[in-house]
Amino acid sequence: MKILFFTGKGGVGKSTVAAASAWQISRRARVLIQSLDPAHNLGDIFGVSLGDRKRKISDTLTLQEVDLQKLARDYLERETRVLGETYRYLQVLNLDNYFSILKYSPGIEEYALLTSIERTINEETDFDYLVFDTPPTGLTLRFLALPSVTITWIDRLIAIREKILEKRYTIQKIRRPLKEGEVPREERLKYDPGDDAILQRLRVLKSNYDRLNGILRGEDCTVVLVFNPDMLSLRESQRLVEGLRELGLPLRLMVDNKVTGLNEEMAERVETVMKQTAPGIALERVPLSDGLYCGKETVLYRIMKDMGDRF
Amino acid sequence: MKLPVIPFIREILSRIHDTHRENAVALTKVEMEEMENIFALLVLGSFVGLPAPPTFLAVELLPFMERELKILGRRAEDAGDMLAEMCGTLGID
Repeated sequence: MKILFFTGKGGVGKSTVAAASAWQISRRARVLIQSLDPAHNLGDIFGVSLGDRKRKISDTLTLQEVDLQKLARDYLERETRVLGETYRYLQVLNLDNYFSILKYSPGIEEYALLTSIERTINEETDFDYLVFDTPPTGLTLRFLALPSVTITWIDRLIAIREKILEKRYTIQKIRRPLKEGEVPREERLKYDPGDDAILQRLRVLKSNYDRLNGILRGEDCTVVLVFNPDMLSLRESQRLVEGLRELGLPLRLMVDNKVTGLNEEMAERVETVMKQTAPGIALERVPLSDGLYCGKETVLYRIMKDMGDRF
Repeated sequence: MKLPVIPFIREILSRIHDTHRENAVALTKVEMEEMENIFALLVLGSFVGLPAPPTFLAVELLPFMERELKILGRRAEDAGDMLAEMCGTLGID
């Protein structure tokens, strides 16, 4: 299964380029295109109304707009329920509802985004291609960085937890074993790594993130950077290239979108700088056609025509 | 009621033995609790203004951290007189 991420500054045409590419690929393979941008417009591009559910628009092309807020809410509700079960006694005082404040935790949106991608990769195995239309640069870089950052933290926490369990083991070994029916004066703590809920949870999280990191950095993953021929877009794209490089994510194509006769000179300059910023990465130009404004053609048609058989 | 002598002596010896064992683990126990405190501080550091792991990681572990949270609270209370605390731990009068 191949995975494509379309990324870039807000408003450069990521969704349209992603939609056109998905449409093109769907002529020879089964494709799921998923919009992760909170400001969805995938449905508008294809002229269909999409809810949170998948919608098949041809035998080989399926669309989906992910409701990130709902994902974040579902995740927190699940965690709040686990907390409520652990601290069940608080129900007596009617205080358990106060855990609901967790939904305002920062960083949850990025996590929801990553969870959504992880779930799609794990569950949508019927497709040959997964195309993700991502939110604007800032959020995209943050969620793509999340697996690496999290793994670093998890590794450190696992190391400390293992040390704690070692200490507990030492303590239990020095103390004599309990006689039958004897009540210890002090709580005897579990020292077996298999019995420690925190260590178990950390190990599960680590294996999930290692796997996801492997997929995101692997041969089957492609990041496509879309930009426009203007300085703002150029600067943000440069930062994105730098960010992707730091994270070890595979940028394999750049698309200079919305090029017209008026901004062609600027397009040349921007493309030269981008080629220097990301040497060796293929670059495609997609012109902005007058036909669009006259209603003679659709954005989708234009991009498909101009991109040729790129995918 | 007269207590049988031999079980009585055995009980005393067992208690002495236990006391020695407890003395032997005292420092390791303090060390372990400190590590649990550090663990809680790292996971829940954002509560006290420390750099913290991604929020969801803290949220994932929070349900299992009752003991660590109690230690964190106790250490925060004792933090006012750490010198006395350390002297007590190391048996310095």
